[in-house]
Amino acid sequence: MNSKLWFLAKMSLNKKIKTKWFLIANLIFLIIIVGLVNIDSIIKAFGGDFDEATEIIVIDNANVYDRFNFNYENNSKFLSDYDNVNISLYDKEYDDGVKEVEDDDKVLIVIDRDNDNYLTAKVVSNEEISTITNSLINTSLNNVRSEIVLEEYNITDEMFNNINTPVNVENVILDKNNFEHGMMVSSVMQILTLPTFMLIMFLVQMIGAEVNEEKTTKSMEIIISNVSPKTHFMSKVISSNAFVIIQGLLLILFVVLGIGVRYFISGGNLLGEETGEVMTLVNSLSLDGIEKTLGVMIPILLVITILTFVAYSLLAGILASMTTNLEDFQQLQTPIVIISLIGYYLSTMAGMFKGSIFIRIASYIPFISSMLSPTLYVLGEITIFDLIGSVLLLIGTIYILIKYGLRIYKVGILNYSGNGLWKKMFMAMRGK
Amino acid sequence: MLKVDNVTKKYGEIVAVNGLSFTVNDGEIFGLLGLNGAGKTTTFRMILGLIDDYTGDITIDGEHINYKISDKIGFLTEERSLLLKMTVLEQIIYYGVLKSIPVSDIEKRLDYWLDRFGISEYKNRKIKELSKGNQQKVQFISAIINEPKLLILDEPFSGLDPINVELFKSVIMDLKKKGTSIIFSSHRMEHVELFCENLVVLVKGKSVLQGKLSKIKKDYKKKNLLVRGDINKDEIMKCDGVEKIDKVNDEYIISISDESYVNSLFKKISKYDNILKFSVEDPSLNEIFISIVGDSYE
Repeated sequence: MNSKLWFLAKMSLNKKIKTKWFLIANLIFLIIIVGLVNIDSIIKAFGGDFDEATEIIVIDNANVYDRFNFNYENNSKFLSDYDNVNISLYDKEYDDGVKEVEDDDKVLIVIDRDNDNYLTAKVVSNEEISTITNSLINTSLNNVRSEIVLEEYNITDEMFNNINTPVNVENVILDKNNFEHGMMVSSVMQILTLPTFMLIMFLVQMIGAEVNEEKTTKSMEIIISNVSPKTHFMSKVISSNAFVIIQGLLLILFVVLGIGVRYFISGGNLLGEETGEVMTLVNSLSLDGIEKTLGVMIPILLVITILTFVAYSLLAGILASMTTNLEDFQQLQTPIVIISLIGYYLSTMAGMFKGSIFIRIASYIPFISSMLSPTLYVLGEITIFDLIGSVLLLIGTIYILIKYGLRIYKVGILNYSGNGLWKKMFMAMRGK
Repeated sequence: MLKVDNVTKKYGEIVAVNGLSFTVNDGEIFGLLGLNGAGKTTTFRMILGLIDDYTGDITIDGEHINYKISDKIGFLTEERSLLLKMTVLEQIIYYGVLKSIPVSDIEKRLDYWLDRFGISEYKNRKIKELSKGNQQKVQFISAIINEPKLLILDEPFSGLDPINVELFKSVIMDLKKKGTSIIFSSHRMEHVELFCENLVVLVKGKSVLQGKLSKIKKDYKKKNLLVRGDINKDEIMKCDGVEKIDKVNDEYIISISDESYVNSLFKKISKYDNILKFSVEDPSLNEIFISIVGDSYE
């Protein structure tokens, strides 16, 4: 009987993998994933005004150009990534300046003296200028005005510097798991959890389609007359899990290929221009000393993920056996999708609601624990023992699904009528 | 030899099969007849081991149904039980391996049967690409690829043209000669009459007619008189025992309710002029079936 089990599993797997659609789907995945990993290069490859500096011309009727320029440079040095401008003094007439604004898309600033307000300015541009540049212009002009006022009241440079020196504020964060860190971890885990969610959907659909195909064609009768429902059920579980593991490994391979392409394009600088942000993220993730527990965490996470796949495949198989066509199964599939989505969303929200007892309890719930508990573990919300607890609960769920689900499966796969379905299933579960 | 002994299967309060007993010997074709919902499918399922919660006994060569025994059973379902995305070769290997046959043997046997059915060129074609008749041939091959000891044929001629019906008939007769026990189920009584020596008719799960076909016909009281000549149809209709008179081509078929009326009717008809034919015929299985099943429903 064992040889028939493996034969059935192999046939199911071949049916799924040895098709042109599997090949086409994975080619699309490859293109998308490699593209996503290299999205910045792709955007730049198509061209655009990424590096073009905004030309600012200044008609200085107040003799403050040097001060303005100095202040602007000072204010913008922390925002150089977002504000690329060239400032120059303009010695022609206002109308000429306006014409240059119209023709060359420049920004014209006219600074005048004012008896009441010391300074007034007019900013002329073709279209709305960026918020950052606009803020920098306003701040710089205000700084210049402050300097003029302070000078008028005979305040020395030393006094002025003392006034302008910012208060030294030291930030001491006692709780390293701060909100921003939590959000950052959540974002990363959201990306890492998405493939698990996708693979669960693949798995559920595969089992549903196969069981329904065999039921609707009545080939189920031929199969079940030669192998036990248990063997058939297990063959579906094995083949669907093998399929998602293969698909998962392929996705990982595509990511590696994407990184390889990135390495090749960037000439060895994998992080590209976002080095700073990525390093911040890596440092943030390292705060909790996760790297020290990776050796324990990764095997447990793999176990919990595989067990979750098994639990979903068992549940999908049981539900598929109760339906008589694919449309019915798709309706029954909706609750499974929602359960997975709950896990996925709670995982993304975990960083926002740190310390939430509800989310912590939810991390124990089979079917969603594989998506939620890794995030909570990385956030430091749960310990390795909690992870082990989730694994044990999953094993218990799988045992129950096999024990009672098999009874339903045995009756369900040869049932072609929707009449009294739930009664039949309930009776089957009770072994009657 | 298949032996079904006093088998009863209930679904809740509904009795699907009620005390059914019959035997199918080696090399015998046995008819299992009944209207839709009479209990045929349930009986097949019990023989195949798909249902095990019944009372009574089902044995093949003295052994109860188990997965070892089911390897010796072939089943042609009424509906197409083929996985349409598979090729013919894949499908036959799939069902063959489930019957514990080595793949190399399956391929050899498949080549023989594809040749016999004249569809060798479709070996590597997907089943969904085949015509209905060719799909039926593939399904038939899948049922006999294990050289079954017991073969269940549920409407085997479905979707076949007359030439292919003849082809199937010859294959079935060959299997019978080789000693295969065959259970034949069809709503086409002329096919049943052609193949079956013994049969059982089920009505609501209960056997209402059972035995050797020739004896059933002989014992059946109603007979048909075939008459060719110039008779007065209205006068004959008034005679005792006459139920109805049909005219087919130049012959009258006079249905009588009992064989005992033959003599009196012969005397009456022989008085007419130009009588060229007078013969007493057993009724067709179709007539017996309709009469029995109809009576039982009433």
